[in-house]
Parts: sequence; structure tokens; C-alpha cells
Amino acid sequence: MNNNVSLAQKRRRSYGICAAVFLFPVLLFLAVYLLYPIIATFFNSLHQWNGISADKKFIGLANWSKLVTDSDFWRAFWNNIKVMVLSLIVQMPIGILLATFLDAVGKKGNAFKALWFLPMLMSSVAVGYLFRYALATNGGIISSISQLFGGGVVDLLGNQATALYAVIGVVCWQFIPFYMVYYIAGYSSISPDIYEASIIDGSTRGQYVRHIALPLLVPTIKSAIILSLIGSLKYFDLVYVMTGGGPGTSTELMATYMYKNSFDTFNMGYGSAIAAGMFILITLFASIVMRLLNGRGND
Amino acid sequence: MKKKLALLLAAMMLLSLTLAGCGGGKTPNTGNNPGGETSDPGDNNPSDSNPGGSSNGGTITFWNIATDEPDKTVFSYAVDQYNTNDAPNSGFTIEQVSTVNDQYKSKLAVAMGAGECPDVYTHWTGGSLAEYVKSGYAQDLTELVDKYGLRDRYTEASLAQGTVDGKIYALPTKNNSIAAFFYDKAMWAEKGYEIPTTIAELEALCDKMVADGIVPFALANQPQWTGSMYYMYLVTRHGGPDIVTNAYDGSGSLVNDSTIYAGQKIQEWVNKGYFPAGVNSLSPDNGDDRALLYQGAGMMLQGSWQVGSIKSENPEFYENLGCFAFPALEGSSADQTAIVGTLGDVFISFNCTGEKLEEAVKMVSYYSTDEWMKLDIESGNLPPLKAATSEEPAWQDLLVILNDASAVQLWWDQYLPAAVADVHKSASQKCFDASATPEAIAQEQQDAMDEYLAQNG
Repeated sequence: MNNNVSLAQKRRRSYGICAAVFLFPVLLFLAVYLLYPIIATFFNSLHQWNGISADKKFIGLANWSKLVTDSDFWRAFWNNIKVMVLSLIVQMPIGILLATFLDAVGKKGNAFKALWFLPMLMSSVAVGYLFRYALATNGGIISSISQLFGGGVVDLLGNQATALYAVIGVVCWQFIPFYMVYYIAGYSSISPDIYEASIIDGSTRGQYVRHIALPLLVPTIKSAIILSLIGSLKYFDLVYVMTGGGPGTSTELMATYMYKNSFDTFNMGYGSAIAAGMFILITLFASIVMRLLNGRGND
Repeated sequence: MKKKLALLLAAMMLLSLTLAGCGGGKTPNTGNNPGGETSDPGDNNPSDSNPGGSSNGGTITFWNIATDEPDKTVFSYAVDQYNTNDAPNSGFTIEQVSTVNDQYKSKLAVAMGAGECPDVYTHWTGGSLAEYVKSGYAQDLTELVDKYGLRDRYTEASLAQGTVDGKIYALPTKNNSIAAFFYDKAMWAEKGYEIPTTIAELEALCDKMVADGIVPFALANQPQWTGSMYYMYLVTRHGGPDIVTNAYDGSGSLVNDSTIYAGQKIQEWVNKGYFPAGVNSLSPDNGDDRALLYQGAGMMLQGSWQVGSIKSENPEFYENLGCFAFPALEGSSADQTAIVGTLGDVFISFNCTGEKLEEAVKMVSYYSTDEWMKLDIESGNLPPLKAATSEEPAWQDLLVILNDASAVQLWWDQYLPAAVADVHKSASQKCFDASATPEAIAQEQQDAMDEYLAQNG
């Protein structure tokens, strides 16, 4: 009896040691690369600091009160919302459509699959430059075509009214393949038995997709929405490459605004406040949307 | 079992202590480097790789943006000279790290923030240099400049631009960069255009060009500093360089007749079709503005570094390249010969002390030798050296402008504190698409200025 208990104890203990040993590296990385930067960001946001000097001046919540009333920041946030909404509206349906098509045609569609996936394989900077040249007013493909047919120069990126939408278009071009693959993965997790069963029961392909596949894809769609949402709110690279936030401040996003403050204008303290503000906003947004989505799912 | 657990815990603790030690090791470095608010020359700044700056040599890291020709040759010169001639005696070797212009500023800022500032680095003076000096990453060079007789070599005005509070913190190099109009002499002669001397004449000429189906101004304004040249010149012609200096020291405002005049003029010119379509999306990084000029646009207001680019890019066009100063404004009481630009395109500052600093300065002083000067001039530059003069045809007009100039107004985006400079750039861009009124544009800049002055008053 006594022996038995000690064996269980031994087991539990060695299990604990094992867990500690295996978890330690991960915890260390999380602490160094995730936890520490987040804490440091919040810490820096309480200081007036130019980002290069050793002396940080503690100024309490001054950066935060500035952030709350900073119309530039909220304009950037509003731009982020536009990116988010349009990304969802454009990327999700097209992603599902392409995935459905590829799922339906099976192996025959492999060439399409490879072709459509290409944009995802290019680096954002390359994509940004590619489209900057394509949209250029000086020999860009769109302007050239328009001029060929006797139209004027089409200036999408240099026009405050259209620049943001042009960039969003490129963002969609780049990320639709990602969601396409994501949904293909979702489709492949649906057992072929289900499809066969539905066909035997006399459903058409369309009915199968609408009434069987899509409902089964709902969890995939949900996580794709969350991914797209978070990605849109912290979006940076294409905007930075294509417009740098301009013309004027018409394509300024929270992340580019943060970058400008932190590195261009020597205002790391305020830049940190923006980063921390983004962190809070994005967490808030993501958790609200997750709650909403899951709430509906449980019905 | 307990023993094993204790052992494990101890090992973990040791590991984390070592890691903490790494982190801790960096902190004093960061602490020492800047050495408080004011930077007394020397002492409080032990160099990173070589504690105490002792005599046993080491590596001197030199950061710059010379990634393309001809800059590559021009900048490698001093590094190569030092490494072959002096390195064997001093024990120091120079390691050059070149980064693309666009990323350079942020890379430098990150390095400084992490306490890993390079020993020698290039920058553009103005507001940034003030930050570097305040944070202790630039050493006072006044004594060394005197010791090596560098005052006899560099032009006074260029040294003055690297001076903060009466001390020299940066040495000029590469080029005298001034903004002027560049044009195609052959095309102008053919069409019978004449160099305008007043803004009214300029406008008359532009109207003629528009009627001839020519875009008068080759401007690529995506990065905003290019269009800002029109704004700066119009302000300077209307109210003189004092407008911006007074605003900086708080005795004046950027909301005044001159800035509003500049905003109105640009918007008027935009409406008359003086600028190319899509001006705010064209980028000088792609050479869009030069391309427009090659394709037959009227003229291009740009920095004189364009001479070198055009020379290497389009030798045929270069033969007919002419330039003239921004025309005068009739009836203005301001001095009409002031130019916008910088004397010394890039400047070099030092973040090391003692012997290392001296060796680093010795290396940089190769950028003032006759042989280097020849090399630099050949690549299309006019070095900020007293002895420098250029035989390059394109520079003849520029030299006249430079010699006639009563004052050089440093580019606003360099002169103004970084936060204000950024607002100036994006605000001035709004002139070109009329998304704000000239008054609002001026006000936006002044608001940024006010905020800066309130924080740093």
C-alpha cells in the first residue's frame, strides 16, 4: 500500500520535472520575445524619450492623454477600420469561391491552384513595388491602357480620395490566395463520405456546397475572419512601401503612424503609446468579434 | 528525487542569471554612452568594442548610405586609404557598412536606442544632429579640427552647418547640395524659351510651355520633400530665410503672408497645369522626375546631386544640361539671392573617444585630400572644400548661383526638429492636390511647431 502511493508520487514528480524541462525553452522565448516587448512598450509609453538617448523622462500619462485626443491617430484608426471591413468583404467570399471551385474540380485544378497561390509567395515589399510601377502615372500599365483608349492619366495612388482603396485592392490581391488555401484545407477536412452520402441521397453539387459543406466550414470561416481582422488592424508593410502614408495623411494607418513617430521624428515615447494603444484596441476588437461569432455558433 | 529537482532548479536559475547578466551587461553601456544631457568632450564614453579606448587598436565601424555608384567609390576611398596607409601603424581598421538611404535613418535610430551606435556615421545635420548631440552620440570635434588644420580645407559655411552651440560635431562631405532649376538647353534654344529672372517671367514661360503641350515642372512628389522645395523657395522669396528661423526660435509664426502666398501660388500653378498628372504618386526614388525631364518636360527644381545622377544615367542629355536659380519675386523686400540647400550633402559624426576618435577623424580627413576632391568632382559633385571648383559644364551655372548667394536656407525638413519636419512635408504635399487651404496648411505646421516648443521650450 505504502509502496503504491510513493510510486504514484514519484510518477507525478517526474512528470512535473519533464514538463518543466520541455516547457522551459518555450516559456523563455515567450518571455523574451513577447512578454518583455509588451511590458517595455507600456513602460516606454509613460516616458518622454527620443528613442536614442539614455535618459527617459517620466511623464506619467501625458502620452496617453495626447493619444486619446490625437485626431491623426483616430483618422489612422478609421483607415484601419476601412481596410478591415473591405478586406473581409472582398477576401472572404472570393477565397471561398476559389476554394470551392478547386475542391469541385479536384486534381484537374492543380494548375489554377499553383497560379492563384503565386501572389502569396511574393514578399510584400516586392508586391508593393510591383504595383507602384503598375499604377504609376508615368508609364504604368493602367495609365498606359487608359491613354491608349484616349483617356487621361489614371492616378490612383497620388489621389487622396482613391489611394487607400488602391492599396486595399493590392492587399486583397496578396491575401486572397492565403484564405483560398485556408478554405481548401477546410474542405479537405470534410470527409468524402459525407459528399458521397449526399450525392446518393440525390443532392446536386450546389446543394451539397450550400447546405452541407458551408455549414461544416463555419469554424474555418470564423478563424479566417479573426485572422483577417487582426491582420488588417496591424497592417503595415504594403502601405509603407506603396504610399508611405501619403498623399498627405490619406493612407496613414495606426502602424505607419507609430513607425513615423518612433523612428522618423524621434518620439519613441509617443510611438510606444501608439503601439500600446493599438495593442489594446486590437485585443478589444478581436475579443468582441470572437465573442459575437462564438455566441452565434453555440445556438 | 528531491535532489534532482533542486539540481534542476539550480541549473535553471544559473541559466536565467546568465541571461540576465547579458541583459545587464548592456545597460551600463547604454548608460555610459550618452553620458547625460550635455556631452563634455570625451571621458564619459568608453567605446564598446575597445574599453577605455586604449592603444591596442580595434575596429572602427563606419555607417553610411553609399550603396550605389558613384557614392560607393567616393566613400570607399578614405576607408581604403586608411586601411592601407594607417592601419598597420595604428592597429585600427575601418569597417564600412553601407545601408540603403530609405532604411538608414531608422536603422541608425534603432542602433542608438540599443546602445550599439556605430563609431562613425553619416547624417544630414539639422534637427537630427541636435538629437544625436543631446543624447551624447556625437563628439565635439573642435580641437581635432584645429589640430589637423581642417579649417583650412573645409569651407566655413559647411563647417558651420555641423556646429551646435559653437562646437563642431560633424564634418561635411560629398557635395554642396543646392536646389535649382535644371533644364534642357537644346530644347529651350529650339523653342526659343529664355531663362526667367522673375516669378512673373517664370509664369509667363510656363503658360507658353503649357500652350506648347509641354509640362513645365518635372516634379515627383511621392516622398514629399521634392514638392517642399517649391514651397520653401516661394516662402523664402516672399519673406526671406527669417520666416523659418524665427518660427523655430519662437519669435515668429509659420502662419503669415509668406507661407500663405507660397500655398496659394502652388495651388494656382497646379490649376494652370504646370505640374505633371499624378504628381503626388511619382517618385524621385524611381527617377520619375528625371524621366519626365528626359521626355521633354520644361524644367526640374531639384538638388544639385542630380548632376551626378544625370551624368551617369543619361550622358547624352547631360551635354545640354543647364540650370538657373529660382527666379526673384518682384517687389519683395526680402533678399532675392538666398538659396535653399545644404553645404555638404552628408555629414560625418563620431561616437568614440580618445585615440579611436583621433584615428577615425584621420580616416575622414581623407575626404578632404586633393586626390579625393578630384574623384568627387569627376563623379559630378562639388565637395564642400575651399579648394574645390568644378570644370563640369553643368556646375558652372551652379557655381555662379552659389557664389552670388547671400544666405543658404537649409532644407526645412532637415532644419526643423524632426517632428515638425514631418508635418511640414505632409502639409506641403497638400498644396498639390488642394486638399487643404493655404491657411490651414500653414496652421498645421505652426501647430506642430508650437507643440515642439512647448515640450522643449
